[in-house]
Amino acid sequence: MQKPAVRFGRACNVTTIETYTKVAHVDATRRGLLGGPPAALARDDIKRKYRREPGFPVPVLIAPATLWLLVFLVLPLVSIFVFSFWKTTGHGMAPAFTLEHYRAFLVSEGFFDPNKPEFLTPSIFIRTLWTTFRFTITVMAICLILAYPLAYFLSMQVQDFKWQLALFLLAMVPFWTSYLIRAVAWLPMLGRHGLINEFLLDIGAIDEPVSFFLYSEFSYTMALVQLYVVLAVGPIFFSLAKIDRNLLEAARDMGANSFQIFREIIFPLSLPGIAIGMIFVFVMVMGEFATAVVVYGGKTSTTGTVILSYYVIANYPFAAVNAIMLMLAMMIGVVVILRVVDIRKEL
Amino acid sequence: MARSTPERRRKTRIKAGFSVYYAIFLIFVYGPMFAMFTLSFQGPRGGVTFPMRGLSFVWWERLAGPSAVGDIKSSLVRSLILAVIVMMITAIFSTMLAMAFRKKFHGSNVLFYAVMAGLMVPGVLLSLGLASLLRVIGIPPGWWYSALGVHVVWTLPFGFLVMMAVFNRFDVRLEEAARDMGADEWTVFKEVTLPLITPGIVAAGLFGFTLSYDEFARTTLLAGAQNTLPLDINAAMTQRVQPTIFALGTASTIFSLLMIGLFIVVYTILYRRSR
Amino acid sequence: MPYESPEHLRNLWSRRSVLKATAASVAAGVAGSFSKIAEAADGLRSIGLGVSEINEIQSQASKDLGFPVAGQAMGYGEMFGKMLNQNDQYEIAEGYYNDMRVMGPAKVWQPIDTKKLKDWDKVTNLTKTGKLTPESSVGQGDAPYLFLWVDENGNKTKGPSQYISMCPAFHNADSIGYNPKATGRPIESWGELLNKDFKGKVALLNVPQIGVMDAAMAVEALGLKKFGDKGNMTKAEIDFLIDYLIPLKKAGHFRAFWENFGQSVNLMVNGEVVLESMWSPAVAAIQAEGVPCAYAFPKEGMRGWHGGLAISAKVKGKQLDQAYEYINWWLAGWPAAFVARQGYYHSIPENAKKFLDAAEWDYWYDGKPAAKDLSDPFGTVIIKKGDIRSGGSYWNRYSKIAVWNSLMDENDYLVKRWTEFLTA
Repeated sequence: MQKPAVRFGRACNVTTIETYTKVAHVDATRRGLLGGPPAALARDDIKRKYRREPGFPVPVLIAPATLWLLVFLVLPLVSIFVFSFWKTTGHGMAPAFTLEHYRAFLVSEGFFDPNKPEFLTPSIFIRTLWTTFRFTITVMAICLILAYPLAYFLSMQVQDFKWQLALFLLAMVPFWTSYLIRAVAWLPMLGRHGLINEFLLDIGAIDEPVSFFLYSEFSYTMALVQLYVVLAVGPIFFSLAKIDRNLLEAARDMGANSFQIFREIIFPLSLPGIAIGMIFVFVMVMGEFATAVVVYGGKTSTTGTVILSYYVIANYPFAAVNAIMLMLAMMIGVVVILRVVDIRKEL
Repeated sequence: MARSTPERRRKTRIKAGFSVYYAIFLIFVYGPMFAMFTLSFQGPRGGVTFPMRGLSFVWWERLAGPSAVGDIKSSLVRSLILAVIVMMITAIFSTMLAMAFRKKFHGSNVLFYAVMAGLMVPGVLLSLGLASLLRVIGIPPGWWYSALGVHVVWTLPFGFLVMMAVFNRFDVRLEEAARDMGADEWTVFKEVTLPLITPGIVAAGLFGFTLSYDEFARTTLLAGAQNTLPLDINAAMTQRVQPTIFALGTASTIFSLLMIGLFIVVYTILYRRSR
Repeated sequence: MPYESPEHLRNLWSRRSVLKATAASVAAGVAGSFSKIAEAADGLRSIGLGVSEINEIQSQASKDLGFPVAGQAMGYGEMFGKMLNQNDQYEIAEGYYNDMRVMGPAKVWQPIDTKKLKDWDKVTNLTKTGKLTPESSVGQGDAPYLFLWVDENGNKTKGPSQYISMCPAFHNADSIGYNPKATGRPIESWGELLNKDFKGKVALLNVPQIGVMDAAMAVEALGLKKFGDKGNMTKAEIDFLIDYLIPLKKAGHFRAFWENFGQSVNLMVNGEVVLESMWSPAVAAIQAEGVPCAYAFPKEGMRGWHGGLAISAKVKGKQLDQAYEYINWWLAGWPAAFVARQGYYHSIPENAKKFLDAAEWDYWYDGKPAAKDLSDPFGTVIIKKGDIRSGGSYWNRYSKIAVWNSLMDENDYLVKRWTEFLTA
């Protein structure tokens, strides 16, 4: 049997080998931001055999969703963009065109003054964005480490599809409980008089309650992981379930051991799922604002919190600027992830 | 085959190892819920942390009765209705979009980014943008249209990605075979495509339901005069964090577990019947 | 993957059943919501914080007045945003006088005609002139009387006039709450918030406008700096304050910052903090959970705040009359007694007295020892027989307001530097 074409990020199913090899030269000439056009394109020459265009007409299919997005996404976004240039009155905003809010975001006063302590230091808002980003990366990494074995277990070890789904849903159930309640539920566990401290005191491991468990980076990270790890499991599970078992059989026949199979076949084929899962977690944690107050005692500020604080004092333009910066950061993050893994091609 | 070869033993050990990991994972994800569950039976003078001051159903009674702040029961109903509508719209839209994306068409890249953008826009600002827009136009926000609009924008990318993955796995030859036999588009869709992508649609809908049901940031300004459940929970917590909230959390967890149990039972029955 | 799709799934998708299901759910959703819309033209919608939007009050109002009154409670930020942006979504706003700096120019509320308020003459001078008794100090910051008087167009006037911006309702003086058993001694000064003895066991309110005031009181109490007007600080003063606080935070002095009432209660009940800036009903709530709690009456004075009832600018006709009825109902005293049991004062004490029994009046307003165990509005006993309210009587406590909750001129700068402090 022909050795399957397996390369980092472009492993493929045995049944569609011919298709992908045809696609190869098309890819090189048509790279978009997210990689080449979908694999379906390759079937054009086959489709030409049919006189009728298969499938429902595209405009009909995309019309409702497009309209919806226009009204509820594009319009508000454009408004926010416009607002970021308006000036603030004490109690709202008025149409204008000013860059002062962007300036206030990017540089703090005294940025250009060598005598001031703020000389060349990034503004608090940039630093907040960076802190948000830092936590997000940590949470993403931990989620990946925790989610992957679980998805692997569900898709590879559990045989019956019914049980796969049941166990997966069982793990997802907490996701259906209000996230506010779940955040608050950490308090009885981690507090100075919480379960963990009481337990450690009882068994004599410590003399005094450890205050580090709550209202610290530790509790914040752990709460975030617990809240969002299930989101990462789903897409990875899906990708892994998709892998053709024949491929694994074939590799085993050719003498590969388990580790090689994992490294060469399973892991690359699951990359799209990993990417999507990571994007989900990335997006949710970057947009966070409420958990920090509950579990970290408000001792950190995320950009989401900043947006809210400026919104509360009716400084909408500045809140809009922060939002746009946050969006930019998120888009950059997502693009980076998608560059590493060309999911558009896989999709 | 030999009953217990070294290979089989190794496989069993690996599987056992993973099962243990699954159990630990569950404990981690459910962890605080155990505390929540226990504390919902807190005595009447107890608070939201340990120690337990007696056992009672007092907080469960308070959950069922009138609440001091907000109206949990009607906001629950509102949240459920909203989530169901969001679920259906997400499922339908994601399927239609994913089907469109099976072909290449003008502006497909732009549309793809637009859908993904729904994921990346911070909820609070979409809330603000839409609310201000509505004010300018003169329409007051309401939970069943403005909040609905933004919820779908948020859930659509999730559903869309699921459906895209489903269609990627889909074997086009099945549809082609049906077309070869003379079926028209709608029949092809109904008889061949739909039954095969049903699990994906269910998943997309499930995402839609889950995300909408617990949605807080996007709803704050757009719910109008009546709170949805997360908003009411937040309002109740601003007054006092009492074990009632834990009773609510426990109730909703038990409800979800029951739903899964029901799902397994229904699926088993249907599956057996189709054989 | 089966090539023959199961019969049951094919039937599931028959066009008829899908259409039926969709139609049914959409109809249910629409019907459910329309029934609510029909209500909007009659009755009142009231919004505010969870400490004043309480179902008992609104349902009692509906009963007494004969038309529905619906309340919606939310967090401070959302409330502010909704009051400012969506005044077609409510008729009554239970707002605070320091918000008037923003709400006033925004013209979201309509001026209230004092001639239509039955007991206007009985309202104490606290709101009218700023001095509860002739010997009281007015206090720095946004004192309510500065924002009370308006002309019929809603613009601020210099002195008393016929129209007011908000009708005064509940108010209180905040200070520090502490666990006397844990501290071992009474707290008598704002400076104790920054006392190294309590490192890691202190919490502050995280709202910049209010939290910074508590911190400023503490810093001034320690003799580190004298502020010109704590309610309206200059950039240099803000810098001094924040630069002093940041190293403290880095050293772990502050256990947490709380955002809403419930969290402040939790922090004390869970034993996480020993003293914190606190709103007075929290004392009752904490004691109800079995944790000892006392409210300080610092020698430097208290931080005052004043809430009131405002009418949205969009209200007219029958609803406007109903709004006035509701406000008059508040002034008449039943809700005043209700919130008194949480520790709030009312602008017409004699009306509140009508609905409080003698022992309650003596404790909450007159500063006398409790003649018997007293309970909060929800029935939980919170005051033991013999307790005395710290600071004594209403007139004593309110004569020494050091500063009022305020919105400063340098608010933007304050928020920026406060964010730095929070993230340090």
